[in-house]
Amino acid sequence: MNEGVQLAEAASGQDPGNGLRAVRALRDLTERLETLQVDNARAHGWSWQEIAVFLGVSKQAVHKKHARRGRR
Amino acid sequence: MFERFTQDGRNSVILAQEESRRLRHGFIGPEHLLLGLAATTAGAAGEALAAAGLQISDLRLRVAAKDAEPDEPLDAEALATLGIDLDVVRRTTEAAFGPGALDRRRGMPRGHLPFAPDAKKSLELALREAVRLKSREIASGHVLLGILRAGDNTAVRVLADAGTDIQQLREDVIRRLSPAA
Repeated sequence: MNEGVQLAEAASGQDPGNGLRAVRALRDLTERLETLQVDNARAHGWSWQEIAVFLGVSKQAVHKKHARRGRR
Repeated sequence: MFERFTQDGRNSVILAQEESRRLRHGFIGPEHLLLGLAATTAGAAGEALAAAGLQISDLRLRVAAKDAEPDEPLDAEALATLGIDLDVVRRTTEAAFGPGALDRRRGMPRGHLPFAPDAKKSLELALREAVRLKSREIASGHVLLGILRAGDNTAVRVLADAGTDIQQLREDVIRRLSPAA
């Protein structure tokens, strides 16, 4: 099963409802994973700068989004 | 940090933490400071908020609505159309981070809750308001002034939504902070 083809079909499919729902589901999943991974990286002593580099976003963006959750 | 706070100033921050816990927010934001002030009925801030007709029960509802982050379950069916098996993702994340890692709400830290950056900002501004008003201590009234001075934060938005005249509230607090004439 070629997942790349499936992704392209659903995400750019003819039915906007199905396609949009798939995009949203993927985004929700991405957010959850990002939260877990960023918290884990912080717990391992990573700086916001290091995390930002790996996520491909600015340090400010990652800090603004995740710092509020607080350190555990 | 809180050694310069008066009793009512300190109480309001302690109550802010309780308000945040009650809402399961995991951090103290300006909106929780506001609730803490409203709960501290003995202070200048609590008095001014009450005089402005702001009930703590109403403020709590407004804060809860503002901060509500619906924690919906992940859409396994839609992910399947993308060839993503949510059960597999769940298994791998739980293997790394423990049971329920992918599905649990944001973690609830025990002990002291951290201040959000905009709450810290409000407290810094509270200190500045105290200095400006020639007070050696930070009282609940100064904390409220700090929150209002910060401008755009959840607390100010909640107050604005409740129909509060921010400028009038500020003046009323300052009046209540000044020693009785």
